Amino acid sequence: MFVLALRSVRQRPGRLAATLLAAFFGATVVIMFNSLHDTARQPGTDPAGTESLTLTAGVVGGYGTLLVLLGIASTLTVTVRQRAEEMALLRRTGATPGQITRMVVGEALLVAAAGALLAIAPALLAGRALVARFHETGQVAAGVDHVLGPIGLGAGLGITLLAAAGAAWLAVRRALRARSRRPVTRTIAGALALVAGAGGVGATFAMEPTEPALMAAPAFGSILIAAGLAAFSAPLLRALSTMSGGALRLLLGAGGHLAVLNLRRRADELTGVLMPLILFVGMATATLCIQAVESDAIAASGLTRSTEDKNLETLNVVVVGIVAVFCCLLLINSLASATAFRRREFGQQRLAGATRGQVLRMVGGEALLLVLTGILAGTPAALAGVLAFTAVRTGTVRPAATPGVWLGVVTVAALAAGLAGLLTAIRTLRTPATVAVAA
Amino acid sequence: MGHTTSALRMTGVSRTYGAGEAAVRALDEVSLDLAAGSFTAIMGPSGSGKSTLLHCAAGLEQPDAGQVTVNGQPMPRGSETRLTRFRRERIGFVFQQYNLLPTLTALQNATLPLTLAGKRADRARAESLLTEVGLGGRMHHLPDQLSGGQRQRVAVARALITAPSVVFADEPTGALDTRSARDVLALLRSTVDRHGRTVVMVTHDPLAASYADTVVFLADGRLDPSGELRRPTPDAVAARLAHLGDRAVRVGA
Repeated sequence: MFVLALRSVRQRPGRLAATLLAAFFGATVVIMFNSLHDTARQPGTDPAGTESLTLTAGVVGGYGTLLVLLGIASTLTVTVRQRAEEMALLRRTGATPGQITRMVVGEALLVAAAGALLAIAPALLAGRALVARFHETGQVAAGVDHVLGPIGLGAGLGITLLAAAGAAWLAVRRALRARSRRPVTRTIAGALALVAGAGGVGATFAMEPTEPALMAAPAFGSILIAAGLAAFSAPLLRALSTMSGGALRLLLGAGGHLAVLNLRRRADELTGVLMPLILFVGMATATLCIQAVESDAIAASGLTRSTEDKNLETLNVVVVGIVAVFCCLLLINSLASATAFRRREFGQQRLAGATRGQVLRMVGGEALLLVLTGILAGTPAALAGVLAFTAVRTGTVRPAATPGVWLGVVTVAALAAGLAGLLTAIRTLRTPATVAVAA
Repeated sequence: MGHTTSALRMTGVSRTYGAGEAAVRALDEVSLDLAAGSFTAIMGPSGSGKSTLLHCAAGLEQPDAGQVTVNGQPMPRGSETRLTRFRRERIGFVFQQYNLLPTLTALQNATLPLTLAGKRADRARAESLLTEVGLGGRMHHLPDQLSGGQRQRVAVARALITAPSVVFADEPTGALDTRSARDVLALLRSTVDRHGRTVVMVTHDPLAASYADTVVFLADGRLDPSGELRRPTPDAVAARLAHLGDRAVRVGA
């Protein structure tokens, strides 16, 4: 079966691109942040530098790693589902469920390993650039060089492979079951994530306002709540589609009509696409706002701000920004992959008389509803962490900069989802309809 | 013959795939004139250009040369959108693989061409069509809750919903068992007899072809010069096909 997996990887590089990209982006982030641990641990690093590096690696690297785990897992859920037909065919030709599972999981491991190995070089460069920023801001002594060691490499490979294999295993198990009933595993995992997230947000209140790692608890909390809400987002998407049906039909005509029907039927399957969307809205809003509140708190502490403080502020935003960009890339990647997979369906619609414009309006309408769901679920997740952090850090519940940051994040989410869906659809529609349905 | 209106007319239609050495002339100046209310089967060995002929006639592909008119109106050329608009109002199509949309119920699938054309989805008409094809009790089922034969009958209802000038069927029984195939063929026959529709069907099953009024034969992208076969029986069709095959081999050799 491993040979079969190897062969199927070699024959179909295009279809595995989404998995490869997710593993590549994810491993880059994990290796880069965890290599800060390696850098901190090398002999000769100044104590202040060690503390600063360990803090960044622990806080941002920590929740970054969690995001990578969730992101790769949700991508795998999407890509394994796309192979349901092929798995059914293998079953009919006599493959046992065990053999199919080994093939799909083996393939996921191979592709994830390839993505993680490809990520080493860019992660090394990015890590160097990051440590250079630490030098510039005086956080780390100039003589301390960036080092990539066992922690960075081990975490990068380990997390990527674990997420890929685990998600592939769960997804293939679901696909092989005769008829999926309620997704029990997802419900349990979602509930656990919500509880853990609430715990993270709650833990903020147990910490000292000046604790350097104070940001970690609410950030983790927000991300876990976002992941938990994502597991329960299908009914929200369905309800939203039903409610906005009339408006969407009016606005987008037959395209809107099809968008609503598709989303109502496919809401459950779309959890894999909603996950990165909700994570992005929740995570980016939470961490960027927390950073803004922290900067304001430092400013309000009465000390005149030196250039160094400002530099540190920039550094923190850069670090948080890297993780936000990763989430955004993941969102684009999974939406593009899910859209490209619909080539045959688009062909069927065109053969039934849909113009290209109507198919594109349908894709646009679907993206709109997906983004709305992402905002509705991601915003409360972000608010939970931001409010807790603000309350503990400043003693008020009026977080600074939040509306502006939120608006920015939501705009980026809408643009990313809309463009990923539409541009992929435009490319997919280049295939003549008669060819698209035959493939 | 002079007074019957022509539902479909093809004049000198040619279509070539690829270029240079690898070019394949799938259709070579084919001309056809089908009267309204007729049922025509198109037959030929695989690779003879049957599907290309059907796609060009139905506006799913643009021919390189020649003209197609549907009910006297020339098929527009150029933009796919113009072609789609022309096609969805005048032409119905039944595919071998049904091509129903998986997220739409039987009723929603049947009314889809109207919805796409921006017309009011005529629910009553769709319901009576679905009842007529024997699916009155399954209008709210999704395609994957229906058997192959039932799906194909939904596809027939969808093809008829716009009251098209011509209904094309591409191997409509190719994926069906014998009994479902018979049902679908009888259904196509009755749309001609009872509703006066024009049906053009590609098939390589002589039994299926025997449901038509006339069979035309295609080999190497050209119509068989021996002419069409009227009031076909399965045996007569099979004999002509065998003959066609022999000749194709001789020409090829």
